[in-house]
Amino acid sequence: MKSRVRIILVLAFVMLFGTSFLNVSTAQRRKDSFSHASKSHVKINCSSCHKNPTANWVTARGYPDVADYPGHASCIGCHRADFFAGNRPVICAGCHTNPGPRGSARFPFPVRTRSQEFTTIFPHDVHQNLIASNGPKNDVAVAHFVTASFTRADDPKPPAFNNCAVCHETSAILPKFGSRVLPLLSPLADATADTFVPTAAFFKNSPNSHASCFTCHYQNQKPDRNNCAGCHVLTAPYFESDEIARYSLKFNHLSTNHVNKDCTTCHVRITQNTDLKTMTSADVPIQACSTSSCHGPAIAEEIGKRGAAMAAKQQIFQCNYCHTPEIGRFPVPPSHQNR
Amino acid sequence: MFSNRRFYLNLLIVLLLPMFAEAQSAPGVGSIEVSGRVKIGGKQEKLTRKRFYLFRGGLSENSGLIERIRAAEITSRDCYYSQAKASPEFICWLQLSDCESPFCRTASTEEIQVVPEFKVAYQKGMTQFRGKTTVAKDWLVTNLAPSLVSGFYLQKRTLTERLLGGLKPLQSSMTDTVSVKSIFIDIPAGDAKARKFTVSNLLPIEFGNKSYVWSCEVNVDPGKTAKVNLQVSEAGKTVNMMKNCEVVVKDLKVCTTVKCEQK
Repeated sequence: MKSRVRIILVLAFVMLFGTSFLNVSTAQRRKDSFSHASKSHVKINCSSCHKNPTANWVTARGYPDVADYPGHASCIGCHRADFFAGNRPVICAGCHTNPGPRGSARFPFPVRTRSQEFTTIFPHDVHQNLIASNGPKNDVAVAHFVTASFTRADDPKPPAFNNCAVCHETSAILPKFGSRVLPLLSPLADATADTFVPTAAFFKNSPNSHASCFTCHYQNQKPDRNNCAGCHVLTAPYFESDEIARYSLKFNHLSTNHVNKDCTTCHVRITQNTDLKTMTSADVPIQACSTSSCHGPAIAEEIGKRGAAMAAKQQIFQCNYCHTPEIGRFPVPPSHQNR
Repeated sequence: MFSNRRFYLNLLIVLLLPMFAEAQSAPGVGSIEVSGRVKIGGKQEKLTRKRFYLFRGGLSENSGLIERIRAAEITSRDCYYSQAKASPEFICWLQLSDCESPFCRTASTEEIQVVPEFKVAYQKGMTQFRGKTTVAKDWLVTNLAPSLVSGFYLQKRTLTERLLGGLKPLQSSMTDTVSVKSIFIDIPAGDAKARKFTVSNLLPIEFGNKSYVWSCEVNVDPGKTAKVNLQVSEAGKTVNMMKNCEVVVKDLKVCTTVKCEQK
């Protein structure tokens, strides 16, 4: 008897749930988001909805860009019924803050709080080849052209080596930061108390707009502004973390002896990376630091202290030259000893 | 029930296997450091920002590749841009910083006025970008002819593919501007029989009126860094062997009469 009641209840729930979807389009069900991945939307060309640049680019961005939602004309062909479904049609809430005939205000485009639907294709190797095809020579100060002569202006700014700084600028404000997670390793001790706090200068930004891409790829250079799929690939919705997670939180990109280095002196893997998705090994290999005359001795000393503490069965030494205790308490990986 | 448990156990082993394999293979890796400081014509030159490729096997195992490098017909930067009908000012602008394309550096306001291609591109940009001078200047390359922007690079890419002839490099790495080194890491050198590798820049590097391609055989031991010092024979031979490196030196064809004086 009990089980029969359960079955009836489950069936009733399923029917109620099912009927709620009848005669209602995806647009109406999804109150706060638009899915590029729906069966109907994936069949449409991006440029049939998105105009590039949008009319508001001057005020919204300062450079030609897709700075606004597609107009009603892009949606109404398929979603006419949704536009007139009730006083406050659900479809309107995708873009408008206060849906209704008089509510024209829209969320800033794009809505950063919503999940991301695309990953980015960015081949670092190709860009390294192109932008770094021979750097400026410092010993050539003046060049006489056929009709004129120029003197290279003295630039007080530190050199933007290889143009990595075109996309990766120093953070203006301290970003969210944290230690990397080492899921395959067990710490040797609890983390000791630590008061170290990095400053904004320790970190570099990554692009989150078209600004640095369009300087070359706006037109003539493939993929251009009208070929969205040239750079953006649909993926399962995800929320991008704004936290920068590092193994060595104590590394300062702008310290005196780092700022005058070429990015690729340490980021040796980046020049061969073909796709952002395979960037799992794009970290600076420890070898770049541990074999250098600058840091080699200090790293060797810490490894020695760790070994001595373990041999004497004393409290474990937590490496703190580069690491905060969150990382410094883990076993020394073979890579640190060039093995 | 028993078979279910066995299935999950097997599945667990299969899933964990790559983890153990990775842990096991880690100690079997070595590295190579290629120094880009080369004495050419008695002068110490720096091969900065040059890409080197790593191949399995020594020079004899890569004889096909070496043969293709020897036989390759190359078009120099100046020849390419002359053929692309670039103005003498444009070619001189490239030469000023030894650039291969306009991506190399930002053109100054003064240079935009003097280089005809830049001037036209800037004017187009001013019309297209609603008179915004910063956009017209910073996005200058978007209004240049593609042949002047990426044509030379695409030609070099085609040459790279032709030289590779389907061969897949194990890795590639660029020399930096400070240490002038190209570093290859995590090279699988665990197998005693397969510790021989070949490092080559494939694409000719231009210096003065000559081009150079190095192909060097390197032995990599696990846990160690093998060093490669590139050299050029002063004898002026077209193909010569320096230690374990074969150096292909070719005269660059002269294609332009433009004279760009530099002080």
